[in-house]
Amino acid sequence: MLIQLIIGSLMIGSVYGLLALGYSLIYKASGQMTFVQGELLMLGAFLGLTFYGIMGLPFLVALLLTVVIMFIFGMLIEKFLIRILLKRGATGIYIVLATIGLSILLQNAAMLIWGSRVFQFPSIFGKSLINIGGINIVPESLLALGVSLLCMVALHIFMSKTKFGTSMRAAAQDPMAASSLGINVPFTTAVTWGLSSALAGIAGIMIGPMYGVSITMGSMVGLKGFAGSVIGGYGDMYGAIVGSTLLGFIETFVAGYISSVFKDFISFFVLIVIMIFMPTGLFKSKVYD
Amino acid sequence: MLQDYKKYLPNIIILFLVGMLGVAFGGSQYLILLLCIIGIYIIAVSGLDILFGYSGQISLGHAAFFAIGAYTSAIFTTKFPIPVWIGMLLGATLATMIAIMIAFPAAKLVHHFLALLTISFGQLVFIFVSKADNITNGMSGIIGIPPIKLGPLVFDTNLSFFALMLVLVTVFLVIKQRIVNSRVGRALIAIRENPHAASGMGINVRYYKIMAFAISAFFTGFSGALYAHFICFISPESFMYSQSVLFLTMLLFGGTGNLYGPIIGSAVLTIISESLQSVGNYQMLVYGFFLMAVILFLPKGLYGIVDILKAYMRKMVKKSAEVK
Repeated sequence: MLIQLIIGSLMIGSVYGLLALGYSLIYKASGQMTFVQGELLMLGAFLGLTFYGIMGLPFLVALLLTVVIMFIFGMLIEKFLIRILLKRGATGIYIVLATIGLSILLQNAAMLIWGSRVFQFPSIFGKSLINIGGINIVPESLLALGVSLLCMVALHIFMSKTKFGTSMRAAAQDPMAASSLGINVPFTTAVTWGLSSALAGIAGIMIGPMYGVSITMGSMVGLKGFAGSVIGGYGDMYGAIVGSTLLGFIETFVAGYISSVFKDFISFFVLIVIMIFMPTGLFKSKVYD
Repeated sequence: MLQDYKKYLPNIIILFLVGMLGVAFGGSQYLILLLCIIGIYIIAVSGLDILFGYSGQISLGHAAFFAIGAYTSAIFTTKFPIPVWIGMLLGATLATMIAIMIAFPAAKLVHHFLALLTISFGQLVFIFVSKADNITNGMSGIIGIPPIKLGPLVFDTNLSFFALMLVLVTVFLVIKQRIVNSRVGRALIAIRENPHAASGMGINVRYYKIMAFAISAFFTGFSGALYAHFICFISPESFMYSQSVLFLTMLLFGGTGNLYGPIIGSAVLTIISESLQSVGNYQMLVYGFFLMAVILFLPKGLYGIVDILKAYMRKMVKKSAEVK
């Protein structure tokens, strides 16, 4: 039971982590908050479902297609919604509201396209279970964990070791200085949003096989991912991962040992407590006026 | 007080007209019901306006206060033999006290985090209300909530409730205007525009921010209790996140920071959502569209059109003066 809980925690924690990375990336790069990650996760899941389940493409192809589409979609959101609002002088709160509006639109658009029932994401590895230390584990959860880790490592390498990643960090730290050095700041911002969206899409495909695909799957997870990034320190990439994993553990162990009915309640309660006593999170970010 | 008559005259006329409308449509139960619902929303959204429109603090969890007001009043009046109006005041007061508790940490937070905090709080209350079966009856909701009784008058028909709503909405709007036109209101506006400058002028920003939360929760909590004693049945479904979004959409659509905005927003969106009953599931889609449309094209809400018209008319007057 303990091993199952630990693996469950790591898995859900890593899914929250992918979302949390998206939130923190955007905040770090453009100082904006986004509330649409959850629905992007849902969209990614549906796209994956369409490519893999309905159209029957091989899983890797479906995954890559979804990632690319989500990436482009994220860049489009930045270009046609966020940038326009910012040009009009909209304050941060209106960007938040715009992303909330967008999330509502996405959810309902998905309902129009796919319908409101819960879809079964066809299993990727057949019905066989993997046996680790006497416990049967669904291979999809290990895939989720593995892919998330891969993404985080890849993102870390990209941001710190490549030229473009470094220019993204520079643009996030000081857009004017960066652009005076020749960095295309609007482009790096667009890429940031695209990356976050792609991460959410991957999270969606990972979570699809385990919990099914439905139009409401994104809202809760989106909030929890947000919570994870706040716990770790909003705007800090590593904090996002740590905070989300921590949240995953708290949630899974509470559900396992105390009660699964109040699982979500505990998660939000922890979030509120953290926001009251330690709003800067574990890695100290700027949250006060 | 008597000099205020002139200021309130247009409002009194409008009220009279609405009252006449109600009597004229007295036959149509549906329209009266609609007007009552609009009235409840006007109070709730006016509350949100005090928080967001006047003190600039976002709340995406106001359905929580709506729920606290509704459930507290419902539980107390169904389990104990206390008068309904006391139950309603209890509900509003509890909402206010909880708001003060939330406001203490919330008043410090930057926009985005405040949004997250209020969303979480809203979710918390929703989860509590839908899972705490012993207290709130869980997803089945509470039935048989007694209607409002004031002495010999029982407000259990749509028409009688409508009459009560006319009075209550007026009372709450007058209260709001008096708060807004007072020192408190001016402090809130100063805080909204520039908290640092406000504090530099000697305004205790924290104190007023918390006060805004408290007043806002009282309004919305009371309207929740009104809702409970009108429909006489409540269930967690009316208090989800979508309800908070609806409040905010109504406010933004109508226009923040003024008297008429919440009225316009509540009226228009309620009518639209009722007409959309046939496409049930797509209600949220329409709200989403409205929200996006308002943010992109009408950030000042429908009431902002009044400003645009005024500016236009001023230009026309100037032009005609120049020609002469």
